[in-house]
Order: sequence, then C-alpha cells, then structure tokens
Amino acid sequence: MTPAESANAATSHRSVDILVSKLRRRQVVGSREAALETLRVLRQVVSKARFSNIDQLVSLIKSVGRRLVEAQPKEHSVGNTVRKILHHIREEYNAASKSNGRKAIKMDLSISNFILQGQMRKQNGALKSEATITLKEDDPRDPDSFARALKPVLMEAIQDVLDELETVYDNISKMAKDHIHPDEIILTIGHSKTVEAFLKSAGHYRNYTVIVAETGPSYSGHTMAKALSAAGISTFLVPDSSIYAIMSRVTKVILGAHAILANGGMFAITGSLLAATAARVHSTPVVVCAGQFKLTPLWNLYHEFGALDFADPSSVLGFEEGNLVDKVEVLNPYYDYVGPEMVDVFITNDGDHPPSSVYRLIKETYDDEDHDL
Amino acid sequence: MPPKSSAGKEKDLAGEDDVLQAVILADSFNRRFRPLTVGKPRCLLPVCNATLLDWTFESLALAGVQEIFVICRSYAAQVKAAIQESKWSKPTSGIKIVPIITSKETFTPGDAMRDIYTHGIIKTDFVLVMGDLVSNVRIDEVVRIHKERRKTNKDAIMTMVVKESGATHRTRSRADYGVFVLDTETSECLHYEAAVGYPPTRHVRVPRDVLAEHPEVEIRNDLIDCSIDVCSVEVPSLFQDNFDYGDIRRDFVHGVLTSDLLMKNIYCYVVKEGYAARVADTRSYDSVSKDILSRWTFPLVPDDNHPSGHSYEYLRSNTYIAKDSSVVLSRTCKVNGPSLIGSHSTISPGAVITASVIGQRCTIGPNAVVSHSYLFDDTHLGAGVVVEQSIVGARVAIGEGSRIARGSLVGDGVTLGTGARLGPFERVSRRRSQAEDEESDEEWEEVEQNQGDNTATVGEGSNAIVWPKGPSEDDEELEEVERYDNQRLMRIGDDAADLLAHSAADASDSSSDGEDASDASSVHALSTAAAEHEFQAEVTQSLDRAFAEGHSVDNAAVELKTLRMASNVDLRRVREAVVAAIVERVPLVAGGPAAQRAEIAALVARWGPLINQIGGVDPVETVEVLQYHCARSTRQPLFGQLLAALYQDDIVDEDDIRAWHASGAARGQGLKPGAVLEGVKHCWRVGGKMIEQFDAQESSDEEEDEESDDE
Repeated sequence: MTPAESANAATSHRSVDILVSKLRRRQVVGSREAALETLRVLRQVVSKARFSNIDQLVSLIKSVGRRLVEAQPKEHSVGNTVRKILHHIREEYNAASKSNGRKAIKMDLSISNFILQGQMRKQNGALKSEATITLKEDDPRDPDSFARALKPVLMEAIQDVLDELETVYDNISKMAKDHIHPDEIILTIGHSKTVEAFLKSAGHYRNYTVIVAETGPSYSGHTMAKALSAAGISTFLVPDSSIYAIMSRVTKVILGAHAILANGGMFAITGSLLAATAARVHSTPVVVCAGQFKLTPLWNLYHEFGALDFADPSSVLGFEEGNLVDKVEVLNPYYDYVGPEMVDVFITNDGDHPPSSVYRLIKETYDDEDHDL
Repeated sequence: MPPKSSAGKEKDLAGEDDVLQAVILADSFNRRFRPLTVGKPRCLLPVCNATLLDWTFESLALAGVQEIFVICRSYAAQVKAAIQESKWSKPTSGIKIVPIITSKETFTPGDAMRDIYTHGIIKTDFVLVMGDLVSNVRIDEVVRIHKERRKTNKDAIMTMVVKESGATHRTRSRADYGVFVLDTETSECLHYEAAVGYPPTRHVRVPRDVLAEHPEVEIRNDLIDCSIDVCSVEVPSLFQDNFDYGDIRRDFVHGVLTSDLLMKNIYCYVVKEGYAARVADTRSYDSVSKDILSRWTFPLVPDDNHPSGHSYEYLRSNTYIAKDSSVVLSRTCKVNGPSLIGSHSTISPGAVITASVIGQRCTIGPNAVVSHSYLFDDTHLGAGVVVEQSIVGARVAIGEGSRIARGSLVGDGVTLGTGARLGPFERVSRRRSQAEDEESDEEWEEVEQNQGDNTATVGEGSNAIVWPKGPSEDDEELEEVERYDNQRLMRIGDDAADLLAHSAADASDSSSDGEDASDASSVHALSTAAAEHEFQAEVTQSLDRAFAEGHSVDNAAVELKTLRMASNVDLRRVREAVVAAIVERVPLVAGGPAAQRAEIAALVARWGPLINQIGGVDPVETVEVLQYHCARSTRQPLFGQLLAALYQDDIVDEDDIRAWHASGAARGQGLKPGAVLEGVKHCWRVGGKMIEQFDAQESSDEEEDEESDDE
C-alpha cells in the first residue's frame, strides 16, 4: 500500500464518516461536544494510520480535518481541535528529531519577527518525548519504523489535549473568586456550562447575586437560573426586554462564547450582543468565560451574515400559523457576533486575556500553516 | 478493507430486531407531474437541487433508519442507477439500501404492499413512507412509542405520523386531505375520512359507536398527513387478505377502522416538533421548496445538510448561492429571496430572480425575469424571457423574448423558439425520436399523435409538443381525487379562485333552497329544526308523564327547564308546548257548557301555574299562544272558557287580556288567509266579548262604588 492510498483509506475511515454525517445532521452540537468527538476520531485515525515521514502524517490529519470542517463549518471547535493536534504533533516531532541531531530553527527576538516568537515559547515546556527515541524517516527497509517510534508520543499528546478539554471547566472556575467580589450583581444570559461552573465555584467563596435573562427563543436562561439557584446562589430570572433597564444596577456581565475569533471578537448565543451593548452604554465590564479550544484563527471583520448559523423558525413562529408562514420571513440565528470593543476580558483555562492579545494566544496555540486546513 | 467488514458483522450481531427497516414506495402511482415525469420517475425530480429520493433517504437517515427497501415501478432502472451512484450506497453510509422492482401491473400503493408481502422482506416493525418525503421528524421516537404500545396491545398495527398545521396552510393539500377522529387521551385514530377539494367535501360521517365508546374525541381537520406510517408485520398481510385495498389512507385505514371483523387499532402521532411533508403534486412541490428555503426543515437545509452534498452559502433574505464561487452573478442582476442558485450558473445583467430555485449550470439571459419558478439543471433562458410560477425541466432551452405564464410545466429537453408564448397552465414536452425510450408510454404517444400547429405557442424551431388542457374524456370515470377539477387545486400557480367561488355560490344557492343538506349553514338550520322537533316530542312525553303520574307543578317545571337548556330552544316554544299540552288535556264532556267549564276550571287550577313557572312570566304571550293553538286545533270553541279559567286563576289578568287584544298578532296580522286566520280572528272576537264584559263589570263596579259612596 502506497502512502497516498493509506491516507485515502484513513480519510474514508468509518468513524470519520459517522462524525461527518453527525455534524451535518446537527446531532453533535456545542463546541465542547464537537471538540471531544473530533479528538476521539483523530485518535482513532492516528492510531490506525500508516506513515513513514512527518509530512504524510500531517497531510493525513489535514485531510481528515478538512472533511470534518467542511461538514460543519459553523462548529469552529472542530477545526480548532485539528489545528491543535497538528501543532502538538509538530512539537513532538521537532523535539524528537532535535535529539537526533536536527536543530529547530532558532530565532532571535527582534521587532520584525516577534509575532512568530509566540510559537516558540511552549517548546521548552511540556514535551513528552524522551531523547531515547530514534527517528528514521523514509527507511526503505522498514517503512513503518518511523510510525512505530513516534506513535506512543503522539497518542500521549492527543491524550493531553483530551485531558485539557475534560478539565476545562475546573481550570476556568479556579479563577472565579478573583473576578467576582462580594455583593456583586452579575448579569448572564443563556446556559453556558463554562459560565455555570464559574459562577458556582465563585458561590463557594462569595455572596453575590446573579440575574439571568431568559434568552429567547431557546429560553436556555431557565435551565441556567434553575441550576444556579439549586447551588444556593441568589438568582433572578428576567425577560430579555428588561436587560437594558436593569443594566444600571449590574456590576458585571459574564457571558459564554461559542467561538473566540482572532480579532478578539466572538460568536456567542443570540442576545449576547444586546447585553454587551447595554453594558457598554453603562460602562459595565463584560467578562467572557471560554475554554481555549474556542480560540479560532478566523476573522469576522466584514460581518459575514451566514456565519451566524441560522436555525429553523419554528421556535419563533409556530408552523400551525398557516396564514403567517406564507407571508412572514423569520430569521432565527443561533449566535450573535460580539465585536472586540464590547469585551473587556476573556477568562480561559490558560489565564485572563484582553481581546487585544487574542491574536497572540492563537499564534501560540496553532501553527500558521494550519489556518487553512 | 478490514474495518468495514468487521463493522458489518457487528451490525448483524447487534440483533435483527434492533435494525430499523423502512420501505419507500418510490412510485407516485399518479400522473400529477406530467410531463415532467415522462422519461423520468417522480422520485428523481429535483427539489432544491437534490432529488426527492435523496431528501427521503436523508429524512430517514436522520431518524436512524438502517435498512431501506425502495419499491420502484416506472423507470426502475433509473432509480436503481441513481441509488447506486449516490453516497448512500457507499459502505460507510451506515445504511443498506435495497431497490425492489415491482411489475408494471402495480397500479396502487396497495399493489405494492401486496408485493412486499410476497417478497417476504419484512421481519419486524417497519417505517412506510412515500418516495417524496421531506422531513426532520424523529421517526425513531415514533417507532419506540409504537413498539411500547405493541407490548400491551397486539392489535395496534399502525401509527400514522401527522403534523399540526392549521386548516389553511400552504403545505397542506387543499384537494386531497383527511379528517381524523382521535381519542384525546390515547391518540388512537378512531375514524378516518378522506376529503377532496372539488367538489368540496362539506360533511364527514362519524360512526355513532365512536362517540358512544369514547368519552372524549377530537375531530381534526388541521393535520398534514405526512404519510409516514410505522407499521407492524401484519400490515402487508392485511393488504394481501383484502385485495381491493388500493390507497393506504382511503382504503386501508378507512377499511380497517370501519371493519367489524378485523378488530385492529391504528394510532396517530401528532408531531409537535419537526417538519414533515410530501411533494405529492406541483403545488406542494412549490410549498415544500419554500419551506426548505425558509429553513423549516432545519437541519435539512441547503447550507447545512444538503442531501446531495452540495454546499451553499446562506445570504440575507433566505438566499442560497453555491459555495464553490462558480456562480456568476452579474453586477446589475437581482436575486430576491427565498431563492437558491446552483453551482456554475450564470445570471446575466438585468435579470431578476424572485423566490425561485435555479439548478446547476443554468444560464439566465439578460433582463430575464424568473419569479416563483423552478428551473432544473442545464437550462438556458434567453434574453428577456419571463417565467412565472412554473416548473422548467432539465436541459431546456428557451428562446429570446419568450413568456411562460403561471402554472406551466416544461418537460426535460424541450427547446422553445424565439418569442414562444406559453399560456397559463400549458404543459409541453419534447417530441420523441423514434425508439428512443425502452418504456412505452401510451399517454405520451397519444399526445404526439394529436398535435396540431402549435408554432404560435412554442415558437419557431421548437421540438415541443403541447399537452391537452382541460379534463380528459374519461374524467367522470376517475376516482374523485384524480378528477380534473380536483387536480386543479394541486397545480402550481393555480389559486382556483373561480372553482372556489363557484363552489361557494353553489353552497349559498343550496342553503336558500333548503334542498341540499351539504352546505354548512343549511346543516345548521337542519340541525336546529331537528333539535326543536326532538324537543317538542320530549316535552310532550314529559308532560304526559307528569299528568299521568300526577307530579307536582314544581317538579314538572324543573324537568321542562332542563329540557329547554339541553335543546337550546327559546322560551316561547316551551310556553307553546305547555299551553298545547293543557289544551289537549281538556276532557270533552257532553253535559253542556257548565259541565265543560267545571272540567276546564279543575284542569287549569291544577296545571295552570306551570305556565308561569317555566322560566319567565309573560301573560300576554300566554294568551297569544293559547289563541294560536286554539286557532289551529279542533278545540277552538274552548278558547273563551280557557281564557276565562286562566283569568279566574290569576294566570292572566284584565290588563294582559286588553294588551293582547290590542296587539297586531292577536288580530292575525301577517298570517295568510285560511283556516288558521279565521280561527285566530274568531278567538280575537271571543276575547273582544270578554273585554266588553270587563267593561260592563267595571262600569257596574263603579256604579256599585258610587252606590256605596252614596250610602
């Protein structure tokens, strides 16, 4: 089997197909869910893959990633996960090959190249490979030797990403007590698991009040309010229309995100823009809680309409309203685009960052060549 | 490849009963899409640039179906090839699709079901759908409920999926629908009546025992029948046993529910969330396309999960443009939503597209106007062509300046010359070259033979033949659903205003004549008449009982009040009934006026108070009622004595009698001359005499008073 064939075989792997159709049919929704599913598929692909040099492996993962991203371009975390895995694979490979005598390109810090420096920082840290691995690319006698040598480290790297995903809520909520002070009044909308964990953990240390907007048409605010009040936090549920009216009393707005874009803006549940705009008028700080897997090397500078992901109109207008269905055009977007000027800080599992440094985080997390899969 | 085969084995090992099977009846069994369906089966018509079959497969895949049998009849080879080429036949799709070809003699869905039975492919509960389904309903949930029900009730053989839509909805067929009678609690379908749009079905018969056996029933005429049926294995065998079952709804469901012998139950599942509809005719083709474009079918929408795997970009006002940037939109063209434009299509300057679907590789000429229309792949419109509310097939070329008026259907491969003028609801198809098709098509041949000179319609150099308009000769012999007037309600672009106005006029005529009970208002009138008649009978009975058994006046009054409430009649009717009963009760005695007067006095003393206890006191009316009753009855001579008796018992007093006497009704105004009028007049005169007496009495009273004053 030639390497090209093996790549094809792996891309048409059954688990990839299943995930593709699940993503298309919207049976996997939510950025964390999608990221986890993608990781599981990639782990299978890597474990079964046959390759004899790093380029084959990278192009194989890229082709799988491309299929998954094309299946559902609006679940940004799918592409992010693929990029992250690629980044880790290169890191491991570089570390291993360096010990084989090959040196990674070393750069001095200067104003002309400091943007690229972001990628180098992590290299010194969490490297799994030991110097004992000997890598031999394109060995004609034993083409599998390269794969055999590298696979254990790769699997370990993927496991690391998986662990990071699984602990993302804990890591974010660790910082909660630094952000929420006693007797604060917090406004949040929708039901973001990250925000829920964050607020609950703050509830252990502080006494504060949360106002939850209902967040139509999904009314996910209801579940949020229920969960928070069950945790003993004093919670109010208010209709969306009163967000502006109560904003003067609110000390902080905490939002979840669907994806954080490279310019520091974000996609978040419908209604976030409303809350963020109201907060801006009152100069209320807007805090966004999100895992690092939501960092997306994409831009929404020109406000791409289609990027907002529109659902069906039935939650707004009942299908049984026969006469109206014909005459009324209903738009039901899942997400709002909230620009970077609206957000004050992003709290990720990797620390707090202002929107202006998101680009740098993205540089650190992904490799430039993977931005377009 | 090793992983594939092992996965296949796993599926088999998972157990036969866990595999969800579906049967698609891919054939339409009718000719509503002609001439688009000459040379092509209906299930391969594109809806939003994906074939109907793909939409159906995707709908089923969404619901977790793992094995699909496709029953095809016409152009079976094409269906088979299409399945072979599609992504569904790939081993990784997770779905096993088996095409089954039935014989040419399969004319109805019933025949197809019998075929399924003889093939013996069905081992377990299965989902039966038509090959024109677009749905995002979780059918697996329905299957689960169905299986749950089967555990307790072996006779629950089928669950029909219906969608609430309201009585008027663009997606609900006006011409072929059903009225469901459901048990509110169990949603068991107790009765099903098919209805047609023209002649309009105005009443539905519900068997009495349905109402008797179930405390609460819903009679619903607001449901879209999605034709998704979860059936048990018995269903095909029932078709086999009853060889005359043709249609699944009209014959099978109706038959099973009305049969005294089968004792089987059919249930309904009213979908709350989700969308499901059939593309059964050109009208629903239009509405389903629009539903898809306005995202009711989410996640089955072009930019998300297009069944043919195309990718579209979603733009403002529900517009979808193919994503591979192969579409050429000129700077001055206009695309108004909801629209969809397939890849490699070109829209020339000045062209306007409104609420239309353009296939792949189409060209729209400069200044052409396409509104509410559907163009299939590889179609070319010349400059200045106007297409309105029409469906244009694949590989069609339309010459410059042509007009295609609303409701037209242009078959595949047609070329229309420059300046062609297709009138409303014109149907054209390509002239066939000899021995091209392996499948013979009588209708097509017949149309070809009867071609006159159509150059004015189809333009110079056209290869088109024009299909006849209007009802065919054997229209009367067809089933009601398939008749021409009813079919009109299923046509794209046909609002059938004349038909509906006509039928409305019919309805009002019949109600004024009072002859036709089918009209809504006359039904109402009839029902009240019937209720009144029934009420009178009841009152007579109850009074008979009261007289015979000697009830107290109070009890009799209560009984009358309840009766009145139950039948909702006005008070006067009750009064009439009571007075009539009393009058008819008077025993006729031969012993002269004095004896008679004694009898009357006794009777009125006993029952007279009842008149004022029925719920309202109106002595004037009482007298009037008495007068009219006596005038009609043979007991007219008794009027004077009765009136006197009522007066004696203070049921009416002097002023009432005067008031009555002065009223117009008492003189018989508004009555036609005849015996009744005579009777009324006679009574009036009797009353007059009584008043004279009153006057005399009064003057004598006065005299007496004066006398006493004198004393």
